[in-house]
Amino acid sequence: MANRPLQLTLNGQPVGPVDIPDDLPMIDYLHEYKNLTGSRLGCGQGICHACVVIVDNPDGTSEEVRTCITGAHYFEGKQVRTIEGHAKRDESGQVTELNPIQQRFVDEFAFQCSYCAPGFVNAATVLVEKLQRQPTVHSKLEQVIEDSLGHHVCRCTGYVRYYNATRNVLTDLGLVKEG
Amino acid sequence: MKLFLTRLALAAGLAAPVLFAHADDQAKRGEYLARAADCMACHTAPGGAPFAGGLPIVSPFGTIYGTNITPSKEHGIGLYSDDEFFAALTEGKRRDGAYLYPAMPYTSYHLMPREDSDAIHAYLKSIEPIERAAPVTSLSFPFNVRLGLMGWNVLYGKALKLEPAEGKSEAWKRGQYMVEVLGHCGECHTPRGLPGAMELDKRLTGGILNGYLAPSLLATDLAARGWNEQDLATFLKHGMSAQGTMFNEMFPVFHNSTQGLSDTDLAAMATFLLGDKPPAAKALVEVPVDKLGPSALRGRQEYLNVCAGCHAAGGEGKPHIAVAMRGNTTLRLEDPRNLVRVIEDGIGEQKFSGFEHMQPMPGFAGKLSPAQLTDLINYLRQGWGGQSAELAVSDVQKLQAEAPSIEHKAH
Ligand code: FES
Ligand code: FES
Repeated sequence: MANRPLQLTLNGQPVGPVDIPDDLPMIDYLHEYKNLTGSRLGCGQGICHACVVIVDNPDGTSEEVRTCITGAHYFEGKQVRTIEGHAKRDESGQVTELNPIQQRFVDEFAFQCSYCAPGFVNAATVLVEKLQRQPTVHSKLEQVIEDSLGHHVCRCTGYVRYYNATRNVLTDLGLVKEG
Repeated sequence: MKLFLTRLALAAGLAAPVLFAHADDQAKRGEYLARAADCMACHTAPGGAPFAGGLPIVSPFGTIYGTNITPSKEHGIGLYSDDEFFAALTEGKRRDGAYLYPAMPYTSYHLMPREDSDAIHAYLKSIEPIERAAPVTSLSFPFNVRLGLMGWNVLYGKALKLEPAEGKSEAWKRGQYMVEVLGHCGECHTPRGLPGAMELDKRLTGGILNGYLAPSLLATDLAARGWNEQDLATFLKHGMSAQGTMFNEMFPVFHNSTQGLSDTDLAAMATFLLGDKPPAAKALVEVPVDKLGPSALRGRQEYLNVCAGCHAAGGEGKPHIAVAMRGNTTLRLEDPRNLVRVIEDGIGEQKFSGFEHMQPMPGFAGKLSPAQLTDLINYLRQGWGGQSAELAVSDVQKLQAEAPSIEHKAH
């Protein structure tokens, strides 16, 4: 396989152009070239969603993309966020503040082994940001959470605490209106 | 005498009428025939009781519902005599004299011998009656006028003529009965003219169903796509072979029908389809990367970006996850329609025989631009489909416009 140049924005930082193989999966690029090992390789087949990153589209929307089944060059020119990009850090790179989803998942013991957690954090973060653009209503809240998190697999928790914690964050942030 | 009768039937290319001592045996034989005739497919709603009807069949004329064919006297066929059942099966005539809509493939079944109809009837009488009415078909005018079907029937109802069986092997004759009559494969794999009737001079040359191509089953076309007898029989038995997996409308056919047929019958079907002297399966000619056209070369990177994770960079696929692209029958079709549809719609998770299954394929509708989709399709066809011509973006857009993407939930 030949190399070709890749340029993208990763957690707000411009990266590249860097020559990498044309068939390199994104998860391998993150792990092996960028030392960003927080995105988890679970099934490697596009099912569990442990490996998702967030792509921010030019129109202001965001989406999850599975990095195990997507080549690094798919992300050419795109704005990408990984699990490492959510928390606030100080000059030395130490985490000073988690994002509201991360903090709530910790506070409410939402995960156990945590293998699936980066995927859930990204999914719930995309949901928070979506509702910040267009809030939902109480009567739809559970379905909205199911629709946003339901494709993520967790083998430990039974999902309930993940979903409850997400509901609590959304409610506390004022993203759920009457109705 | 029995031997004589058997020979006579075989000579006529029909199922051997073994003289059954018990009604049980007749019902058992009927169960197998009903499976081969795939009655289940239309007469069972998804998740519904077997043969209790309710499957909506979308036709150009409106939605037709499969009827309840359990022995319920009120809602099913409990009051049918063998004669009446035979008339419904082979002439499309209901017990009350009304005509059935030709979604019921009586144009194919009308060549079914009486003893096979009786056996299927015996089987259906032996199953549990389901006391529930199937939804009522209501078509728009003029198709709601069942009387009009009389004219349709005069024109087309009996138009199916089988290819003469003289000089053919016994396997070919049996295969012809399984494919043409019981399996009614021609109902989908034949183009339909405006009144919804099969264009019989183009029989088995391929038809279009809900935006997908039911490809040509002619021997030369099958061989051109790399099929041989053994692979065809394997495909029918297991729903998968080196050429790929069953999907879309063929997936339930595999589940309800072909996987439960005997190896002898499946081999006979392959013999009939490819002929007693089958044409050699065409070897695949792959276009090497440095010979790819400009669109296909761009498409190669699209493939590496969004397909190779499951179908592998070299197109060999991954066992139990995703089929091989190299030599895949959909890539080898000259018509790119199914490739467009599958990439746009995706395929739900599929379970095959034993523990075998394939993981769901995501649909890419709205995720690839028409130009990206065209590049990808050109790469797939040139790289692993033996189709060297490059399609234009407008060719692909035309196919996209013909059948808007649907989201697949199951299979
Ligand atoms: S590792 Fe990517 S979906 Fe499971
Ligand atoms: S916490 Fe262990 S897999 Fe989800």
